[in-house]
Amino acid sequence: MKQSIFDPFSFRLGAALLDRRRLLAGAGAGVLAALSPRRAGAVLSIDINQGNIQPMPIALPDFLAGTPDELATARDVTSVITNDLQRSGLFAPINPQAYVEKITNTDAVPRFGDWRVINAQALATGRLTRQHDGRLKAEFRLWDVFAGKQIDGKQYFTAPDNWRRIAHIIADSIYETLTGEKGYFDSRIVFVDETGPKRQRVKRLALMDQDGYGVRYLTDGQELVLTPRFNPSTQEITYMAYGQGQPKVYLLNIETGQREIVGNFPGMSFAPRFSPDGQRVIMSLQQGPNANLFVMDLRSKQTTRLTDTPAIDTAPCYSPDGQWICFESDRGGSQQIYVMPAAGGPAKRISFGEGRHAGPVWSPRGDYIAFTGLIGNQFAIGILKPDGSGERILTEGFHNEGPTFAPNGRVIMFFRDLGPGPFLYTIDITGRNELKEITPSYASDPAWSPLLS
Amino acid sequence: MQMRTASAISTGLHVAVLLWATLSFTGETFQVTPAQSLPVDLISEKQFSEMTKGIKEAPKPVEKPKPLVEKKADEVKPVEDLKPKIAKKKEIKPAAEKVPEPQSQPKPDPIAQKLKQHPDQPKQAKAQPTPLPPKRPPMRKQPKFDADKIAALLDKRQPMRTLATGVEANDAPTLGTALGNAAALSQSELDALRARLMALWNPPVGIQDPQDYVIRIRIRLGRNGRLTAPPVVLTSGRGQLFDTARDSAVRAVYRGQPFDMLKPEHYEVWKDIEVTFDPRDMFRG
Repeated sequence: MKQSIFDPFSFRLGAALLDRRRLLAGAGAGVLAALSPRRAGAVLSIDINQGNIQPMPIALPDFLAGTPDELATARDVTSVITNDLQRSGLFAPINPQAYVEKITNTDAVPRFGDWRVINAQALATGRLTRQHDGRLKAEFRLWDVFAGKQIDGKQYFTAPDNWRRIAHIIADSIYETLTGEKGYFDSRIVFVDETGPKRQRVKRLALMDQDGYGVRYLTDGQELVLTPRFNPSTQEITYMAYGQGQPKVYLLNIETGQREIVGNFPGMSFAPRFSPDGQRVIMSLQQGPNANLFVMDLRSKQTTRLTDTPAIDTAPCYSPDGQWICFESDRGGSQQIYVMPAAGGPAKRISFGEGRHAGPVWSPRGDYIAFTGLIGNQFAIGILKPDGSGERILTEGFHNEGPTFAPNGRVIMFFRDLGPGPFLYTIDITGRNELKEITPSYASDPAWSPLLS
Repeated sequence: MQMRTASAISTGLHVAVLLWATLSFTGETFQVTPAQSLPVDLISEKQFSEMTKGIKEAPKPVEKPKPLVEKKADEVKPVEDLKPKIAKKKEIKPAAEKVPEPQSQPKPDPIAQKLKQHPDQPKQAKAQPTPLPPKRPPMRKQPKFDADKIAALLDKRQPMRTLATGVEANDAPTLGTALGNAAALSQSELDALRARLMALWNPPVGIQDPQDYVIRIRIRLGRNGRLTAPPVVLTSGRGQLFDTARDSAVRAVYRGQPFDMLKPEHYEVWKDIEVTFDPRDMFRG
C-alpha cells in the first residue's frame, strides 16, 4: 500500500544536516570560548526536571480534495484521524472553528503565526487526489508549529474503499512522530458478540476495526465461542468453541473463512494462544481434575507437554521474544501467575499482590504482564512487571476481565459487565483515559490484532 | 460459706472498680488552648526578591543586629495592666511579645521582691545569655505586683521593634554568591523561568530509559526576552523517541517566549542560557 515516500527522507536528511551543522558551529564556538578569556558564569544554566504531561493541542484542518468528488472522503479521512488521536488521550484536537488560516495548498508552508495564536503545537495538512488508474492518493504533512518546521510527511496510494485504513495509517504516523512510540490505530479487534436474553445468549465471533467500525461476523452462533486470539504475524485467529461434544480449539483464517481443529485430543482443550512467530499454539489440556500446558507445532502437528502438575495450569501466554511463558496455576493453593522458560523447566511464581491473579497476558512491548485480579468479589484489571514487581491495579469493580494489549503495549482493552451484559473498554497502562468501545451489542473476550501494515 | 465470702469479695471488688471507673473516667471537657494564629503576609515575588537579594559590592555587615536584641530584652510587657500603653505600640507585637517576657522578669524581681530570699536570681539571669531557663522560677514567685512601681519597670527608650519585621528588616545589603549570579538575577526570576519551562515541557510519554533522553539546549535571548537564534541542541541521540524528546524540549523553549520574567536590567546574565531537560525524575521505574 505504501508506494513511495516523499519528503520525510529528504526532510529528515535536511534536519540531520542542519543539526550537525549546528553542532559543529556549537563545537567551534566552544573551542573559541575555551581559547578566549572566559567570563566566569557567562552561561546561566538551569535544570528542568519536571514536565507537564498533557494532551498535545493539534490542529487538523480538513484534507483538501483534488476534485470535488473526493471532498466527502477527504472530510471523512480527517474526522477518522481526529477521532483516533483524540481517543488516544495524548492529543487534544483543536476545534476547527478556531482556525485562523485556511489551508489551500498543502505544499506551501503554513503561516505558523496563525496557528500559534490558537496554541496549536502541531498541524497536520493533507490532500486526497484520484489517480488516472482510479486509485486514491493520500498525502499529508505534519508541522511543528512552534519550531516552524515540517516533522513528517508521507503519501500513500490505495483503492478508494480503503480510505478508512489510510486514515488510520496517517494517524499512526502522526502518533509516532509526536509521541515517539508506534501507533496502534491501524489494527482490528476480534471479540465475542453477545445477543439474546441472558439465559440463551447467542455468542458469535466478530471482527471490527480498532475504532469500532466495520463489524463483521465470523461464526454463525450455532456454538458457544470463547477466548479468540490473534496470530501475531498473520490474519489468523484461534479460539475455543463448544460444539455438540467437547470444547475444542480451532484455527480460523479470517480472510478465507477456512477453519480447522487444533490437534485431536481426547479431553477438553482450551485457552489457546499463538507463539510470537505464529508457528505454534500453546493451550491447556484437561486430564481428569487437572489441566496442563501443551504446545503444538502447527506445521508438524507435533505436541509437546510443558507442565505436569496435579493442578490446573491454564491461560498460557508467550513473552514477545518467545523465550518465556506466563500462565495461571493453582498449584500453590490459589490462582496465581507463574513464569517458566518456553522450552519447559521450573516455573516461578511472580504474583504476590492482594487476592488471586488470573488470565495473564504479556505486553507486545515486553515490559508488563496484564492480568485479571480477583480481590474479594471484585474483578480488577492490573499490570505487573515480568519479574513480579510494580503491580498496579488499573481499574476495578464488579466484573472486569480479559485484558488484551494494543500492538504498542500502551493501551489495554478488556470487558466489563455491570449486570445486564458485558461491554468493551479501553484504558491506558497509566490507568488513565478509560473509554467505552462502540460495539453493536454486548461484547466480551476482546483480542487486539497486531498492526495490519 | 467459702463460696459466699468469695463471691461477696468479688462483688465488692467489682463494684469498687466500677465505681472508681465511673467516677474517674468522667470526662473533663477537653481544654483546648486556643492556638495563636500565625501572622502570614502575602508578598509579591518582587518583594521576596528584594528581601532576599544580595549585592555583590555590599559592605560587610556591621554589628547592627545587636541593638535589636538588647531592645527586645528591655521591652517589658509582663503585666496585663499595661494594656493601654501596649496598645499604642504597633501590631507587630504578637509575634515578638513572647520573647521579651522572660527576660523582662529579672528586672522586676529585684525591685518587687528585694526582701525575699532570692538575691542571686537576677544575677543568674544576666549571666545566662539564653533567656529561657531563668524565666520559669521568677514567673511563679511574682504574683503580687506593686502598681506604684510600674513606672520603674517601663522601658523608657523609644520603641524600635518595627525593625524586627517587615520589608525593611534586612535592608542592609549582604554579599552575593560566589558566582555573582544571585546578585543580578533574583531567585524569583530564575524560579519563574524554570516554572514556565516546566509547565510548557510535555515530554513523550513513551520514555522507558529516561537517562538516554536528557536534552541540553543552549538558548540565546534578546533584550525583549525572545530567542535571537534557534535553540541549539547540545545532546545527540538516535531514534524516533530521541527526536520526539528533543523536539518536545525545543518546543517548550519556543513556547516560553517571551521570557518576560527576566528583567532587562539583568540582561547580561540571562542573554545566554543552557537549559537541561531531564526526564529522569518523571519516568523512574
